[in-house]
Amino acid sequence: MEIIQIIGVGFVATLLILVIRTRKPEIAVQLSLVTAIIIFMLIIDKISMIITLIQELADKAHVSQLYLNTILKIIGIAYITEFGAQVCRDAGEGSVAGKIELAGKVFVLVLAIPIIALVLETITKLLP
Amino acid sequence: MGLDILFKIAGVGILISVIHTALKQAGKEDMAQLCTLAGFAIVLLWVVQLLSQLFTTVQSVFKLF
Repeated sequence: MEIIQIIGVGFVATLLILVIRTRKPEIAVQLSLVTAIIIFMLIIDKISMIITLIQELADKAHVSQLYLNTILKIIGIAYITEFGAQVCRDAGEGSVAGKIELAGKVFVLVLAIPIIALVLETITKLLP
Repeated sequence: MGLDILFKIAGVGILISVIHTALKQAGKEDMAQLCTLAGFAIVLLWVVQLLSQLFTTVQSVFKLF
């Protein structure tokens, strides 16, 4: 039952942050950052298990690796962007968080460009 | 990888807040400020190492190169 472990980490971190925040807010931000990293490290092997399953399914269904890799990259960028933006927002810097989210959206769009181009090409082929 | 880094950071935070208060009471404002900065730098060192570990893991799992 790893979820119990994760909830325990979350509770301990919350109490520690509550103690620290009134005296040293900058250390509290770093503490919440470390908590997020620890929880992610606890779930990362499960995520990689799910990803291998999806890859096997895609191999069986003869889906091109190009599409799967693009989707995986987009998920990774979305996760890391959300992580960074939330840390900035927790520290009270909403504008910096907004800029990080904008950058994440741009990179996701850049990754999607080959697929969009492929779709457009297919449509133009279908049209007489 | 575990809770020990969490307790380490919280301990440093409480310690520097106590030292800050003590130095302030003794009238050494600049030393108190320096002590806060030193604690922050120490914690930042740990956090940056962890963060680089996280980013490497995310890059390898989601195949971001």
